[in-house]
Amino acid sequence: MTATADSRPNNRPLYAAIALLLAASFAVQVVRDRGWAPFVPPTPTMWLQSGAAASRLALSFDSLAADVYWMRAVVYYGGKRLESAKAGASASAINFDLLYPLLDLVTSLDPHFKVAYRFGAIFLTEAYPSGPGRPDQAIALLQRGIAQDASRWEYMEDIGFVYYWWLHDFKQAAAWFNRASELPGAPAWLAPLAATTLAEGGDRQSSRFLWTQLQQNSDINWVKQNAALRLQQLAAMDMIDELNRRTARFVASHGRPPHDWREFASAENLRGIPPDPNGEPYSLDPATGHVDLGPTSTLRPLPWEPAAVKPPS
Amino acid sequence: MRSIWLIAVAVFKESVRDRVPYAMVVFAILLMAASYLIGQMTAGQDMKIIKDLGLAALAIFGLFIAVFIGIGLVSKEVDKKSVFGLLSKPISRAQFILGKYAGLVMTLVVNLGVMTIAYYVVLYYIYLNSSAGIRASWPAPAVDPHLLIAIGLILAELMLVTAIALFFSTFSSPLLATLLTLGLWVAGHFNADLRNFETVTDSAPAVALARALYYLLPNLAPFDVKTEVVYGIAVSMRHVAYTLAYAAVYVATLLTAAVAIFRRRDFK
Amino acid sequence: MPAAIETEGLTKDYLVGFWRPRPSRALDALTLQVEAGEVFGFLGPNGAGKSTAIKLLMQLIYPTSGHARILGRPVGDVEVRRRIGFLAENPYYYDYLTAEELLSYFARLFGYSGADATARVSRVLDQVGLAGHRRMRLRQLSKGLLQRVGLAQALINDPEVIFLDEPMSGLDPLGRRQVRDLILTLRERGCTVFFSSHILSDAETLCSRVGIMVQGRLVASGRVSDMIAFERKGWELVVANASDETVRALGSRAPRVTPIGHGRFTIHLGPELQPEAIIAELRATGATLVSLNPVHETLEDYFVQQVQAAKARGM
Repeated sequence: MTATADSRPNNRPLYAAIALLLAASFAVQVVRDRGWAPFVPPTPTMWLQSGAAASRLALSFDSLAADVYWMRAVVYYGGKRLESAKAGASASAINFDLLYPLLDLVTSLDPHFKVAYRFGAIFLTEAYPSGPGRPDQAIALLQRGIAQDASRWEYMEDIGFVYYWWLHDFKQAAAWFNRASELPGAPAWLAPLAATTLAEGGDRQSSRFLWTQLQQNSDINWVKQNAALRLQQLAAMDMIDELNRRTARFVASHGRPPHDWREFASAENLRGIPPDPNGEPYSLDPATGHVDLGPTSTLRPLPWEPAAVKPPS
Repeated sequence: MRSIWLIAVAVFKESVRDRVPYAMVVFAILLMAASYLIGQMTAGQDMKIIKDLGLAALAIFGLFIAVFIGIGLVSKEVDKKSVFGLLSKPISRAQFILGKYAGLVMTLVVNLGVMTIAYYVVLYYIYLNSSAGIRASWPAPAVDPHLLIAIGLILAELMLVTAIALFFSTFSSPLLATLLTLGLWVAGHFNADLRNFETVTDSAPAVALARALYYLLPNLAPFDVKTEVVYGIAVSMRHVAYTLAYAAVYVATLLTAAVAIFRRRDFK
Repeated sequence: MPAAIETEGLTKDYLVGFWRPRPSRALDALTLQVEAGEVFGFLGPNGAGKSTAIKLLMQLIYPTSGHARILGRPVGDVEVRRRIGFLAENPYYYDYLTAEELLSYFARLFGYSGADATARVSRVLDQVGLAGHRRMRLRQLSKGLLQRVGLAQALINDPEVIFLDEPMSGLDPLGRRQVRDLILTLRERGCTVFFSSHILSDAETLCSRVGIMVQGRLVASGRVSDMIAFERKGWELVVANASDETVRALGSRAPRVTPIGHGRFTIHLGPELQPEAIIAELRATGATLVSLNPVHETLEDYFVQQVQAAKARGM
């Protein structure tokens, strides 16, 4: 009996076809993705708005549901930031409306989700276009966290921050810092911070102190990064004040503002155009002699300060 | 070719008489009718909700039909040995797979067709019962032919899912194949997020892996133009054409793989 | 004229075990030939490899080594399947098709169409006795009726070779007889019948040749008449109206006596004795003769012998 074709069939031509077809599918996707992308409404529908409903629907998987919504919140916020960065001036359609509801859901499903409260504290308060600019929502979120767990001095500290930095209510800020400092486990610098706030609220030094503490004592990366950014802004403000004093001197001596940086630099014996902490040069307005951040500086917008700010001596 | 057609017709007959797809169609139609009632409660937003619900019903029940029939007609057949009946006839194993797929697609088209007709009937009924003022407020007409674009893409997506179900059926048990198919469907809808992974993470290997997965796994998000159609926003024909082409190529890949596996299998 | 079925060294190993799969030999170097027109009985205990061999011949599974041919063509040839029929063990088809629809479907797959296909379907339904159930959905049929559907679909193309895997399983005595008659009809038509079974009495009456499988190996094959000596092994005598004493009086001449109750006894006598003398003796005591049967060596005896010998060889 001669050899017969009854063993397993050879699939090699089929494997080649599969590889080719798969490559073709990649190509089709690449070409398609270059064109029209699906429409995303400014506020995507969030079917579950109420924490209570979500809790019931999640059956016994509350923690997991909280994690999933947390990821959604992070990706949502990040996506919106990117969009507004890309859109630049025409960022009118971009809103952060879903951030609070998402964080609300996360904390309803898992009331001890510490990071969510702190994320809310920072990013809910961020002014447009970096965030929704809603300090009231941040405070509401944090107060719910305190209601769940009264031993959380971090939440109280965060509320104090919001009052200090965004709402400029220094009495409230000091009160919250005080409350926080009285809890076990609170760091030692909260009490003096409360005192400083009450006494000098809005002072750049105390602000610097606050942010330095946060940067050094926090174990969360983006809290540290945020604090670092603030410190850079404060340094820039110091530099701007100094430069403005010098241009005022120039005006006094020359009778007019400097034409440009070169004239100013040579008059003041400076070695070059001064850069801000990020390396961007400052801008000089030849009409008024006013120095400010460069137009493309990433440190914009600079924080607000009360009118009676004491210049550093 | 004749054998493929014969097998397809037999598959169609089997599945049309099976109670489960029938029940799915009935549920979908009930849901669409119920959406009319729900719409009454939403103060003017009813058209959007009815259209949304109707399309969602089509998509979800269509998915159940696709998976259920897809698995039932191959994986179950292998499991229960009825595959011996066909394989002892003068047909090749490739013809078997292609015939089964063609039959499943026929079933899908008919089921989806019935649901679509019911959908349009409900929409027409609402149209008749709405005043001119309300009609003017709709972003898109009630009996909107553009809905067919969304439904067409849903059909294409389901044909892809059926091919996935068939592929897994060639080597897994019915239960495992069902889980894998549904899992891949879920992954396919989150797939679009993988493409923008670089915005969420810094790690270069993670981004590369995410990109690779984006292309390798079936990408089902572009088949979803329900939002656009309901808001009355035009859908680019280029997008539709390329998405259909993608479906065709991916289905061809899956069927070839299914044939390759099926050809070398032992049926104990 | 090539043999209808030929195998040469056909072997099948399965990998067994999840973590470290090891080969387990289901069929070991099967070499046999079945001539056209023969009825070949493929016998063996459960798990002997009979189904494996048939599946290899139908190319439902692939061999580890060895070759097989049907009607001179390799088993992988799709066209040769036009001329053969196959009935699987415990067949299952499609729940929602009717018997008629299934057979019509298969008939068309064979290439018949229109009136020809319809005629064939009717003919084959009559042949297996399913004419009354033709419109019933398959899921409503009992196991026995489903087995008949299986037979019907194996016959629809008037095959030259037909493979039947345990065709009698699940059938009541009436069904078994019908299958037996069917096989005899096929034999008359010149069809080659290859069937596996563990009901040996059927094989004895139907087969021209048999093969005996034990644990994957063909331990014996040949004509039935060659395997059984057909020597008389003794007599079996059934009497009524006898009593215990009269039977005991027979003593050593009747090595085995089984009381059936109510004065009836089954008496086994050795081959050397003349039963007439014993009968006369018993009748003298008032007993009556119910039946007298010669006892031959059966295929079952031979079979059991072979299986035990194989086990003794340490397989």
